[in-house]
Formats: sequence, structure tokens, C-alpha cells
Amino acid sequence: MLEFIKKIFSGDNASPRDHANSRLRLVLTHDRLGSSAQLMETLKEEILEVIARHVDIDGQPEVRLISEGKHAALDINIPIKGR
Amino acid sequence: MDNKKKDGQVIVVTSGKGGVGKTTTVANVASALAKMGQKVVVIDLDIGLKKLDLILGLENRVIYDIVQVIEGECTIKQALVKDKRFPELYMLPAAQTRNKDDISPEQVVALCDQLRPDFDYIFIDCPAGIEQGFRNAIAAADQAIVVTNPEVSAVRDADRIIGMLESAEFTDIKLVVNRLRNEMVKKGDMLSVDDLLEHLCIDLIGIVPEDKGILVSTNRGEPVVLNERSQAATAFSNIARRLSGEEIEYLSFDDESFWRRLRRGLFSSR
Repeated sequence: MLEFIKKIFSGDNASPRDHANSRLRLVLTHDRLGSSAQLMETLKEEILEVIARHVDIDGQPEVRLISEGKHAALDINIPIKGR
Repeated sequence: MDNKKKDGQVIVVTSGKGGVGKTTTVANVASALAKMGQKVVVIDLDIGLKKLDLILGLENRVIYDIVQVIEGECTIKQALVKDKRFPELYMLPAAQTRNKDDISPEQVVALCDQLRPDFDYIFIDCPAGIEQGFRNAIAAADQAIVVTNPEVSAVRDADRIIGMLESAEFTDIKLVVNRLRNEMVKKGDMLSVDDLLEHLCIDLIGIVPEDKGILVSTNRGEPVVLNERSQAATAFSNIARRLSGEEIEYLSFDDESFWRRLRRGLFSSR
């Protein structure tokens, strides 16, 4: 009961199991690639540099690793300036 | 050791992380297979930190060890310790005062090749870690069993080990989820078996619930499969039966007591 009330007031609906799953998803994707947070930062900077050379970037670009089962992908989301 | 037809399977039991239940799994699955009438030998490759003799309760019967066999001080037959509780269960003990790099993968392969004609199953208890001990343990194996716990660090290490097994061209890698607490999974406090399968992407061969009986049986030096009534015993026996090709459903672990069922029955009939 106390835990239930705590949950309502903390505003955190994710269970410890959900936390474990999302943390594992991230850490396993990085482990399998042999990559680190530093590598992701470098990738992001260099990709943006190339894109920015040709088009105007608008807003908050995102570069991240996503994975499903054995497969991993680089998810690059770069908003480009419209008119 | 006569009426054998086919050469034995070498199965390595590994995990990466220590303390997840590798040795307990080896001791119990091997005992269950021996109880089913199979000829089984268990090899402790955790040289320097041996445990299998203690878990099986055979520590007082050890005379020679695997390093002495490899160095030619004795024969394999002299070093094998027979477990008197089962018709055909033998253990090849690790050396306690030596190191993992006192033996090589090639020597383990040669040793297993010598044992294959006389046994149905050869289990290798792999040390924790990913170094020399791991390389020795997987060298001769035809298949691998990865033991993990529903806990983030154990899953991460299991994933690393699976990656290393795959690069060593293992095609038969099975997962044992040990120390599962179903009531915690239901509350959302623990990773579920499905969660682990999604992360690790290998086939399941066993789910073993957390069971106080394991510690009790370890203290006694008796494999828990000798006690038919415990859930862990059933789980380990089921792994043995699946290894021998039987198809068996997974336990549900809905250990509802009589009173809880009665109460639920009363409430739902309102």
C-alpha cells in the first residue's frame, strides 16, 4: 500500500523491471558494438558536421543506437530547415 | 563402461559472471541424467577455485586431479571419482593449488576425446570470467549451456559470453534462467524469462526457481535432484530430460497456497 502511494506521488510509473529492461537494451547494444558514450558523441558531431556543410539544420538533432533482438541500427534524426 | 554405441556429447556450462549457479547446474543436471541411467562424467575446470567436489559431496574421495592427469602423473581412470549414489556418475576434480594457465585448450580437447567413447555426457564446469579458464572450458565442447540470473549484471555478462561462444562457432547455445522469483516478476520488480530471452536471443532449456532447498542440499553435499519434492529439483530434472531429447513443458511456478486459492474462489464467486 505504502509503495502504491509512493508510486503515485513520485510520478514514476516505470517498474524496476521496466528500468532493468531499458537499461539492458542500451548497454547490450553498446557492448555488442564495442562502442561507448564517447563514440556516440563523436559520431553525432561528425555526422552533423557533414550534413551542416550542405543543408541548414533546424532544431535538436538526434543520433542514437536502437536495437531489437540481435539487430542494431543507428537512428539518425536531423530536422532540416524548411521555408 | 561397455555397452556404449555413440560417442558422448561434451557440454560446457558457463555464465561469465560468478555465483549465478553454474556448479549447482552441472551437479544437478549431471546427477539427474545419471539417475536416468546415462553414463555421465563432470569435469571441474575451475582450477585454483574448485567447488564441484564440495557441491557433489565428493570432497573426501578426491585423490588425483585434472592437472596430474594432464601432466602424466596418473591415468584418467585413477583420477575419476565415482559417485556411489548413482549407477554411472563420475567426477574429474580440479586442482586447488594450481592455475588456469597450467593447462591448455589442446590438452582439454585430448582429455575429452579420451573420455568420449566411455560416456554419454561429459559436462564441463567452466570458471567465471572470459580469460584462459573460459578458453580451456569451451575448447572441447559440442554445445554450451549459459546460466544466468534475472538480474542486469548477470544478463550483461551472459550476453558477452554468448557473443564469444558465437565467435568460437558454437551453434548450440541454450539458456538456463536460475533463481527466478515469480512473485517478484508479477509485481514488476524482477526481469521475466521472456525479457531475458528477448535480450539474449538464444533458446531456453530451463527455468529454475529460487529455492532455499539448494543451500540446504549444498550444505549436505547432496544434489537437490535426490529430493523429488522441491521445485528446483523438478526444474533441474526437466533440463536433463530436455537434453536427452524429451519435450517437456516449463513449470508455471504458480505456487498458490490452498488458502489463497480458497480466498480467491470466495471473492470471485460474489
